[in-house]
Amino acid sequence: MATYEVFLKKDGRDEYRHAGSLEAANDDLAVVLARESYVRRAEGDLLWVVERSNVIVADDDFLTPNADKPHRHHDGSAVAARRKAARNDEQKS
Amino acid sequence: MNDLPPPVVDYLLAIADDKHLMGQQHAEWIGVTPFLEEDLAFCSIGQDELGHAAHLYALLAGDDDTAIDELAYRHEPGAYRSCWFVERATPIWAEALVRHWMFDAADQLRWSLLAGSSLSALADLAQRVEREERYHRLHSDTLLDGLLASPVAAEPIGAAVTALAPFALTMFEPVAGEPDTVAEGVAEAPFATQRDAWKQRTEARFAAACTIDWPDDPPYGDNRTTRSADFGPLMARMREVIDLDPSAVW
Repeated sequence: MATYEVFLKKDGRDEYRHAGSLEAANDDLAVVLARESYVRRAEGDLLWVVERSNVIVADDDFLTPNADKPHRHHDGSAVAARRKAARNDEQKS
Repeated sequence: MNDLPPPVVDYLLAIADDKHLMGQQHAEWIGVTPFLEEDLAFCSIGQDELGHAAHLYALLAGDDDTAIDELAYRHEPGAYRSCWFVERATPIWAEALVRHWMFDAADQLRWSLLAGSSLSALADLAQRVEREERYHRLHSDTLLDGLLASPVAAEPIGAAVTALAPFALTMFEPVAGEPDTVAEGVAEAPFATQRDAWKQRTEARFAAACTIDWPDDPPYGDNRTTRSADFGPLMARMREVIDLDPSAVW
C-alpha cells in the first residue's frame, strides 16, 4: 500500500485544495477510492491524486528564519504615526 | 399508488427489491472491510444501490410517498420479489467482493433492456443508473485486477466464486409478470436472455481464479415468491429502527 494525497477543485476561480489522504494498493485504485472517500457529495469538480513519495518536501528548518522578519510585515502603522505627528505640528504652528 | 398494470408492478418490484437488499448488504460492511478506504467506497456504492431502489419504489408508490416505506419494509415476506442471491449472507469479504462484481455485471445487462422502455420514467432512470453503475464496475474491476494477479488472493476469490455461482443464477429467475411486461414494451426482452452473456463475462473475469461449474438446476424460489433462509435475519436488521415506533412519521 502507498499513501496518496487528494486535491479537489471546484469549478471556477477557486484553486485546488488539499482534501485529505488515503492508502491504496496502486494508482488506479487510489483514484477510485479518492472518488468514494472525498467526493461522494460533489465536493469538487476536478480531482488530483498524488502519491505522497512524489511530493518534494523541504527540511523542517528550511523556513524557520522567515518567522523572524517583522520588517516584511508592512501594515503602514509607522507611516501613519509620522503623518499624524506632522499634522499635529502643522496645527500648532 | 400507481396506475401501472399488475405484471409491470411485479417486474419493477423485483428490480427494486434486488437493489434494496444489495445496497443494504454492501452498507453492512462499513467498518469491517479489510481497509478504511474500502469501508467508505463499498458503503458509498451501497448507498447508490439504495438510491436506485428508492427511485423504483417511488415509481411504484405514485403520489403516496408513505407507500415507499410500506414497499421497502412492511411487505409480507412472500410479497417481496428479491432473488436469493441478494438475500444470501456473505460474512466472508471475498464473497462480498465477488457478489458486488457479479451483481453489477448482471445489473448492466438488466438495465440495457430498459433503456428504450415504453415507460419513459424507467427509460430516464436507466440512463441515470448506468451513469453511476459505471463507477461501481470500475471499483470492483480495479480491485479484482490487482487481487487476481496474486495467487494468495486468487485462491479465496476462486472459492468465493465456486460458492456463489449457483445462487448467482437466481438473479435471472423471472417474476410471473415478466412476459406481460415485455409484451407491453416496458422491457425489451426477458432478463434470462442475458444469462449466457453474463456467464461468459463471469468466466472470463475469474478465469485466473477458477473454472466455474454451473449447476443445471439453480435454486429458484418459485417466480421469486418464496424467501431463502437468510432473508428473515436480514429484514429484521433492516427493520430494527422502523419497528421501534411503527407510527412514527419520517
